[in-house]
Parts: sequence; C-alpha cells; structure tokens
Amino acid sequence: MTGVNVSAQPMAPHPRSFARAAGLFAIWLLLVAFIVYPLVMLLLRAFLADGGFTLDALFAALKSTSNLRALRNSLLLAFLVGAAGTLVGLAFALALDRANLGPRTARLIDGLTFLPLISPPFTTSIAFVFSFGPRGLITYDLLGIKNSQMYGLTSTFAAETLTYFPIAYLALRPMLASISSNFEEASFSLGGSRWHAFRTVTIPLIIPALANAFLLLFGCSLADFATPLILAGSDFSVLPTEAYLQITGMFDLRSGAILSLLLLVPAGLVFYAQERVVAGRSYVTVTGKASASARRDSLSTGAKVALLTFCVLTVALILYFYALLFWASIVQAFGANQTLTLDHYRVIFTEGLPAIKDTLIVAIIGMPLGGLYGIIVGYLIGRTKFVGRRAMEVVSMLNYALPGTIVGIAYLLAFNDKPLALTGTATILIACYVFRYSPTGIRTTIALLQQIDKSMEEASASLGASNLVTFRRVMLPLILPAFFAGLGVVFIRSMTAISATIFLVSIDWTLITVKILENMTEVALGPAAAFSVFVIAVVVAVTGLLNVALRRMTAPSLRISRIGT
Amino acid sequence: MAKSLEIRLRGISATFQHESRGDITAVKDLDLIIQPGEFLTLLGASGCGKTTTLRMIAGFQQPSAGEILFDGANVTNVPANRRDIGFVFQNYALFPHLSVFENVAYGLRIKRQNAAKIDAGVEQGLRQVGLQGLGGRMISELSGGQQQRVALARAIAIKPRVLLFDEPLSNLDAKLRVEMRSEISRLQEELAITTVYVTHDQEEAMAISDRIAIMNEGRIVQIGKAEELYRKPVSRFVAGFLGNANLVRGTALAADGGRVTLDIVGHRWTVATDATVTIGSVVDAVVRPEAISLSRSDGALPGIVEGRVFLGEKAEYRIRTGDLELLVVQWNPTAGELLAAGDTCSVNLPAAGVQLLV
Ligand SMILES: Nc1ncnc2c1ncn2[C@@H]1O[C@H](COP(=O)(O)OP(=O)(O)OP(=O)(O)O)[C@@H](O)[C@H]1O
Ligand SMILES: [Mg+2]
Repeated sequence: MTGVNVSAQPMAPHPRSFARAAGLFAIWLLLVAFIVYPLVMLLLRAFLADGGFTLDALFAALKSTSNLRALRNSLLLAFLVGAAGTLVGLAFALALDRANLGPRTARLIDGLTFLPLISPPFTTSIAFVFSFGPRGLITYDLLGIKNSQMYGLTSTFAAETLTYFPIAYLALRPMLASISSNFEEASFSLGGSRWHAFRTVTIPLIIPALANAFLLLFGCSLADFATPLILAGSDFSVLPTEAYLQITGMFDLRSGAILSLLLLVPAGLVFYAQERVVAGRSYVTVTGKASASARRDSLSTGAKVALLTFCVLTVALILYFYALLFWASIVQAFGANQTLTLDHYRVIFTEGLPAIKDTLIVAIIGMPLGGLYGIIVGYLIGRTKFVGRRAMEVVSMLNYALPGTIVGIAYLLAFNDKPLALTGTATILIACYVFRYSPTGIRTTIALLQQIDKSMEEASASLGASNLVTFRRVMLPLILPAFFAGLGVVFIRSMTAISATIFLVSIDWTLITVKILENMTEVALGPAAAFSVFVIAVVVAVTGLLNVALRRMTAPSLRISRIGT
Repeated sequence: MAKSLEIRLRGISATFQHESRGDITAVKDLDLIIQPGEFLTLLGASGCGKTTTLRMIAGFQQPSAGEILFDGANVTNVPANRRDIGFVFQNYALFPHLSVFENVAYGLRIKRQNAAKIDAGVEQGLRQVGLQGLGGRMISELSGGQQQRVALARAIAIKPRVLLFDEPLSNLDAKLRVEMRSEISRLQEELAITTVYVTHDQEEAMAISDRIAIMNEGRIVQIGKAEELYRKPVSRFVAGFLGNANLVRGTALAADGGRVTLDIVGHRWTVATDATVTIGSVVDAVVRPEAISLSRSDGALPGIVEGRVFLGEKAEYRIRTGDLELLVVQWNPTAGELLAAGDTCSVNLPAAGVQLLV
C-alpha cells in the first residue's frame, strides 16, 4: 500500500462529511421552496391557460393603453430619479471627499444622509404631503395656495430622488476616494485648470461608478411602490401600483402577475448592465491607501462653496422633513389645530398595537434567521467547493434583485394552496424578508472571506484543531461582522419594507407599514406620522446597538463600514 | 524532552490541475531524508516547488504519488491537525481577533490543558522569542518583527515534533532578517526539533542550516552542507545558485593522482579533483570569482579589464582573456591594486580554486 492519490488537491478544509451534505441539502430545499417555487408559480399563472402555454395574456396586457402608460411612466420616473439622484450623490461625494471639510461637519453630513436609508419608505412622501399638500405648510400656510395640485410626476420624482440619492453617494464616495489625487495634481501641475483636471482625469475614471450608481437608483425607483402610491395620484400610474390595484382592487391575480412581469424586463436589463459595468470597472485604481492621502486640493474655492451650499441645503431639507413628520405626530391636526397632544401615540399603542406587535415579532424572529442564513450560505459559496455552487449564488440573490412587487405576487400565488399553504401566517412574512434581504449578509460574508487568507485555517490545523474547531474558533469570529450586517439589514427591512409584504398581510398578521398606508388613505395623518416616528426610533436604536456590539466583538482589522446600508 | 523525529519523503510528487494550462507537476518523484533534530533548508528559485514540498510534509496538501514517513510511520493520509507540527507562514497567519496571549495559547487550548499549564506555556513561548509582557496586545498593535515572533512562539508553544518554515523572514527588512535568523537558529538548536525551512535567499540558507537541499523544477539537484555545495557543486546550476561562478570548458591534457591538467583557451591549468578524467575528453569546470587573483605584472595568462564596479570592501571586474570572459572579485583592494577599465593584467589561479563538474 503506497498511499497513491489521484491528485494533489489541497486538503479540503472540512471532510465531505454527512453534516455538510445535509446542510447543503437543507439550504437547497429552502432556496427551492422560497425562491424558485414561487417564481415558477408566478410564471405558470402568467403564461399557462387551459392547460397550455400561451402568451395571449401578455399580448392583451401590452395592448392596453393604461398598462403601456404605466410602463412608460415607470421608465420615465426611473430614468429621472437615476439621473438626478446620481448627480446629488456625486455632489455629496465630492463635497465630503474633496472639499476639505472638518471631520465633525463631514461626519454630521455623512450621518444625516444615512437617515433616508433607514426610514420607512413613505417617510419622505408623507413629509411631502405635509409640506406641499392641500393643507401643506409651504403651499397652504406660507404661500396661501388653496387647492394645491401636488400629486403626479414632479413630487414623486422629487421624493424618490431625496430618498435614494444616499445610495448613489455610498456607491460613489469610495470610488472617488480611491482615485489618487496624484492624478489630478499631475494634470493640474501640467498647467491645466482644476476644472480641466476634473473633467479630463476624475470624471473619466469614475464613469463606471457613475453608471453603476445610475443603474442602482434606476432599479430602486422602478421597484418603488410606496412613494408613487402616495404621491403619484391617479393620473400618473406606474407598474408596481397598477399591479397592486389589479390584485387588491379587481382581484385579478393574473393581470397583476403579468404587470409585475412587465417590470421584470427593465429590471433584468438593469441587472445585466450593472454586472457589465462592475466587471469593466477594473481600471479604477483602488489602492486602499489613497483615502489616507493628505489634503486634496483638486477643487477651486468657488466649486467648494457651491457644492457645500448645495449639500447643506439638501441636508436641511431632509431635516426639515423629519422635523415636520415629528411635529405632525404631536399636534392635534396638522395644518388645522396645532395644539400639542400625545393622542396619536395613544392611538398607535392601542388600536395600532397589534400591528406594532406583529411587526416586532416578525422582525425579531427574522433577524437571527436571516443573519445565520446569510453567513451559512456565504460560507458555502465563498469557501467551499461543490457542484452547483454558482447556481446557488445566483438563486440566493434572485429575490433581492427582483422588484418587491414580483416577489410579493409570487409568494401570494405560491403559498395560497397546498403543499405550502402559508398565506395569512407570520411564517410567510418572515420568509419573505429573510430570503429577500439576507443577500446583503451573503455578500458581506463572501467579501470578508476573500480577505481571510487560507493560511489562517491551515495555521489552526497545524496547531491541532479539527475542521469544526477551526470553523468555530477562527472563521466564525472573523465573519461575525457579516453576521451583524445581515442582522441589521433584515431587521431594518422587516420594519420598513412594504412592496412585497403588502400582498402577504392578513387579519391575523399585519405590519406597521401597511397601517401607515391605511392611515394615509383615510387621511389620518397624525397616526401615520406617529407610526413613522416610532419605526425610525426603533430602527435607529437597534442599528446603534448592533454597531456597538459589532465594535466590541470583532477584530479591528476586519471591520465593515457600518450596518444598515 | 521527546526524542527528535526523522522525516522521510519517498518518491513524492504533486500535480496541480490547471483549467487552461493542463496539469502542472510542481514536485517530481522526490526522495529526501531529514535526520532527527536536523535543520534542513529547501533552497531554490521561485516556483521550483519548495512551498509545495513543505505543505505536503505539513499535511496541507496530498501528494499525488509517494509517501511521507515520520519516524518510519506512514503519515501520508494523516491530516495536518494530527501530525504534531508547527508551521510558520510567510504572512504569519496570526488570528487577528485574538490577543498575542490567545494566539500563543491557541494550540494549548486545543490540547485541553489546564489554565496553569496554558499560562506557563504561553509565558515560556513568549520568553523564548523575547516578547515577555506583550501578551495583552492585539495583533494589529505589533510591528512586523514582533508579529513574526508571535508566529514563532505560537508554533513552538505546542512543542511540536517538526517545525516548518515557509520564507518566514521575507517580509522583514534586511537588518531584522539577519537578527531573526540567528534567533531561529539558536531556538532550533535549543529545542532540537527537526526543522524544514524554505527560502530563496542563499545567504540565509547558508547561515542557518545544517544541510541545504537545492531544488530545481520540482527536484532536488544537490543536498549537503553549505561548504560542500559551495566547494563541490555537481552542476553548473548549483554552482550558479550558491555564490557566483565562472563556467569554463577545457580539454584534459594529462591526469595523475588527483590532479588534472586542462587546456583552456590555449593555456594550461592544473586542477585538483577526486574524479577520474580520460585524457582528451572535454570537461566543464567552475571557477569562483573570489578564487582568481589579478596582478599588474606579466604572467602566464594575460588579460584585459573590460569593466569594473567598485563596492568599497571589494571590487568586481570583468576580465577578458582570449575568448573567455571571467568575473573576478578582488577583496579589500588597496589604491595601488585597483585596476581600471582598459588596463592589462595577469590572471592567476590556484589549483584548488577550480572545481571540475564531473
Ligand atoms: N494551488 C496551486 N494550484 C496550481 N498550481 C500551483 C498551486 N500551488 C503551486 N502551484 C504551482 O506549482 C509550482 C511550484 O509552486 P511552489 O509554491 O511550490 O513554488 P516555490 O518554490 O515555493 O516558489 P516561491 O519561491 O515563489 O514561493 C509553481 O509552478 C506553481 O505555479
Ligand atoms: Mg513558496
């Protein structure tokens, strides 16, 4: 017996044990049940009639002028939001990276851009109504306009831009920071003006990042349900709201399914384009050291002042909206009776209590499940080899990449009947959030694993540790930040998201966001504002706690930036 | 202290499957015996298979053929965590989430030793590498040299029977490298643990090892003490790898009792050798640059200085003599001895300074 092996594979970090096989099987089972199966059901419902495959319904939907208008409106809105949001994001990135702000000011502005990201989706919309609506603070009280016509493209566009520009900022700033100011200085020292250096050096280098930011925002706006529902009005319909009305108003599941699938075409194109952009990004010099370089002097004083003014005004607007929201939650009747009161809070903690309880239960159960699911799937994809790994990666991202309306309708169709009759339960809400929002945890885990050299595991093995011990004592602590990131995102989204779960709530299990929507349609603005304030407070508190725990429990060298984005 | 362990590699190979380039055999049918307590260095150019060999000894990688014996016991299929080894990585591979103390204690905790023993073990490990009192620091709070020491302490704390090093000093600056290598050498002697050390720095290898195995393209081409390799290289490759070498080719004119007379570009050189050389055969010989001396007076072998680099304690020349260009090193040249480009000189060569490659 000469111990001859077929090949010199590095020894697998874990034996092909029964446990791992069982784990893989369980994950696949979940992925199939909660991602593949609902989507298949959606497609079947849309394209299967009288036992055969047919595109009739699709063609019929495409013939309807109202549907075509919704499609066109969706694309127009998404394009505008993408373009404007990217510009605003760029302004913030430039101001914070290149305008030599003091660290305090920078941190303050940076922190405030975070606010729209963790707020319920309608916060901005509600504040818009308070500000510009028929009894709005600005339109009615300040300008004396009696019958303000605020609903439509303009306000939807403005509200979405304010809500989503931080995403562009977050995508652009690291890119901008990674471009060594040496490039700009080189061009500058060759006699070009600052503007010339910016135009010929910086802009070409960040074009991929700009394109990426645009596509991100395009996708967000395309999928946004809450803002248009409140602000678009009846003349400016978009696909997600149309699909929702078809299903809840007309009980026409099939048309709803078809409409949501119309959304899939642009969403798919955006996703594809984004992959291309990210793949072609490589020529940006990401050294990781550049951000530490000394003062950057690539902006002229005039440009700095202009940028700063713009950012401060934008931040002021955000602050004004949140102040307004808070104010509306503590006065009798916003716009009519400004007497201070806690009535609205009394309402949400009595009549609204079931929704608060349900939401917290769903969020608290979903949070650890999502965190765990994220690091397990991330570890499997990022560190182990098995047949179908790539497929698992793609499938696990699907519910995240798809607009919430599609996911919601698919769940509605799939879990209404046996074998998985979950409609009306908490399970369906939790599953929806876990499988839709854990991909952040998965991605963070994979990214962290890429930073952790294989030699770390080998070192542990050489010291006598078994694979299980190595995983528990070395790998797990090192990917803990990803776990926290996963927890944070699942919790925040469970508290704030609505586009998918609006189709899944029931009499037994409802959500705060749905309650806010009801309040808005009943013009019970006070409770809507109080609910919003409550959600924001809870989310801020929980993410704060998670960030503290993260800092306490993880290695300084392997920190991720912050939770919740 | 446990008796030192002998490592035997018997015909081991390592093959990697590459998607694009087909299979790569990084180590080819390699035989090697490492004596108990020995400090053996694998020396070779980048990509010659040193790391792969070391990783197979550690058990991080399975050989595609052959077997590995520890004290006669076949460990080929024993996983790394049961081979009782200490491994020091090029990048240290310290656990960033643990303190210095916990890094060093890691292996002891795995062995489930009690708290007192762990404290004592860590304390001793840190003392051995000169880091006493730094146990509470985090890894990120250490300098590169200190991290290197922690990696060493962590590896020796478990009192392994084999110590393996993969270019442990390559991330340190030159001065620290010299300091650390003598510490590693001292520690190894003290602990008498069988050690395999990988480097591509010939000076480091010569300074630190009992024996050096020179590798090329997945094979060991020569193994021996530093001096043996230097004085009796078996090939041009070995000669070129340890120090500098001039390669010359000549015809044997006469041979008697350990001395051979060669005709090299028309000049007669007498060379000492153990080998038997047939008269009339063409043989290769290595001449060390530092074995040649130059003088201004006329001699048997006239030369001309083609180039000179003055380096303070020595001067390096390129000397042309007939068709031959020789690299010559002159140690401690006085102002009078120093030659300039274009000067003529005579080249003198002691018989012991030439090594035949036969
Ligand atoms: N995991 C791997 N997969 C594929 N090929 C590999 C792998 N590891 C090493 N090789 C190849 O095997 C050969 C020997 O590699 P090895 O790492 O042993 O070289 P080395 O002598 O340690 O070199 P260096 O001095 O650069 O560290 C190289 O050609 C290398 O490309
Ligand atoms: Mg190597």
